[in-house]
Formats: sequence, C-alpha cells, structure tokens
Amino acid sequence: MAAPMLNQPNSLLANMFAAGLLDDQFQELQMLQEGSAPDFIVKVVTLFCEDGERIIGEIAKLLDKPCVDYDKVGGFVRQLKGSSASIGALRVKNSCIQFHQCCQEKSKDGCVNSLDSVRNDFYDLCSMFKLHASAGPAGAGLPKQ
Amino acid sequence: RRRIRVLLVEDEEIHRVVARAVLRAAGVEADEAENGAEAVRRVRERVGGAGAGAYDLILTDKQMPIMDGHEATRQIRAMGVTTTIVAVSSDSLPSDVQAFIAAGADDFTPKVHAGPSNPPDQSCFTPE
Repeated sequence: MAAPMLNQPNSLLANMFAAGLLDDQFQELQMLQEGSAPDFIVKVVTLFCEDGERIIGEIAKLLDKPCVDYDKVGGFVRQLKGSSASIGALRVKNSCIQFHQCCQEKSKDGCVNSLDSVRNDFYDLCSMFKLHASAGPAGAGLPKQ
Repeated sequence: RRRIRVLLVEDEEIHRVVARAVLRAAGVEADEAENGAEAVRRVRERVGGAGAGAYDLILTDKQMPIMDGHEATRQIRAMGVTTTIVAVSSDSLPSDVQAFIAAGADDFTPKVHAGPSNPPDQSCFTPE
C-alpha cells in the first residue's frame, strides 16, 4: 500500500493551500527563502505562532473584563491581522477582519465569538505547520514540535 | 555603483524579518529602527557633521510605540531632509494615505505584500 499522502510534506502544504489556510503570500516567502537565510521560513513561522499565541491570550484577558476596552482589543486584532497577512495565513487574516468589525461595533458577543474563530483557525494553522515539520526530512524548513 | 542606503522603520519583528528578506532579494541591506524616535535619531546622525550622508530611502510603518510613522515623518522633514519616504502600512484607507502625505511622505504602499514575484518599486527614488 502506498504511504499515506499526509506523510509527504509537499502534500501537507498543498492541503493547507487547498483548505484556504494559506495563500500566495506564503509562496512568496518560500521563494524568498531560496535566496535568503536557510532558516527564514522557520523564523517567520515561529514568530507568527509565538506572537499569535501571546496576542490571543491578551485579547482573551481583555474580553474577560466587565468593561471591555474595544480600542485595545482592536489594536491586538490589527496586529494579528497584519502578521497573518505577512505570512499568508489567509483564514486567520479573514477571521481577524471579521473580529475587527465586531470591535468597531463594540459587540461583546461578536468579539467573543470572533475570538473563538480566530483561535481555532490560528491553532489549526500552527498545528499543521508543526505536523509538516515533523513529516519530512527537512520539514521544508518549518519548526518542529 | 553606489550602494542604496535604506532605513526600515518597523516595530514588529515578524515584519522586519520579512521586509529584510524582500530587500535582500532586491540587493539592498537596510538599517533598521524599531520606532519613529529611533528613526529620527538615525536620520539626524547620518546628516550630522560626522554622518555618512542621508538615506536614499526610508520605509516606515504607521503605528509604532514611542513615536508613530506620521510624527517621525514630520520631524524628519522638519530637519530639512528630502530623502524619499514611503509609508508601508496595513491601514490603507484614503484617510491613512492622506495623513502620511500631509506629514511629508512621498508615497504610500500597503504592507501586503512584496516578494520575489512582486518586488518593491524602486522607481520612486533615485540615489545620488
């Protein structure tokens, strides 16, 4: 029986593109790695996952308060939107756009639901990055668990 | 051929790492500042008596701690510096663009997204 497709790093990445987790910007980063430092993608993905985790934590704390500072929440959402756009994290970026709308409307329920969406999309993506790194010999330069 | 002197002004490391790689792919090594105040200080140093001469291009983000891109642009222009300043920001509403131009920037480009197949437009500045 042929090896499962999921064990092939290129298939994993292809699945991530097909699932809408990644967009063309990630391909641009891959092309930059060819001419740049060999650990470029590792560095960018690591920064994204670490910064994103911190930002999501900060947003959760802010939304837990009885009086929500929507400007601060919006600021963090803008930051995550920016970094997800930079890395090509399409679904996270789109979730952030929706989230930002809820911040502008000062809708607590909307923000709480949006945080759930962002969190799910973010952790889906970072898990796939880690899986990709574990699957192949070089993991295409992605950070390992 | 003289090397192009670029100053990248950006507070978030992930954006600096990506911008650094994009610039390197275009054959450019840039100085970096993590906020507007540091950018103003670096520009002042370069144009000072012992400085290495003005930058050819300054790429600046908008929202940064300590001093934002608008204020940094205003202060750089107030020094009499005519270096091309290009605002690079994910906030690209017409009002955002206008605010930067009013502060003295020469151009504005959305932060998303340059890469090898879409390199940054270098036609907006001419090194001496």
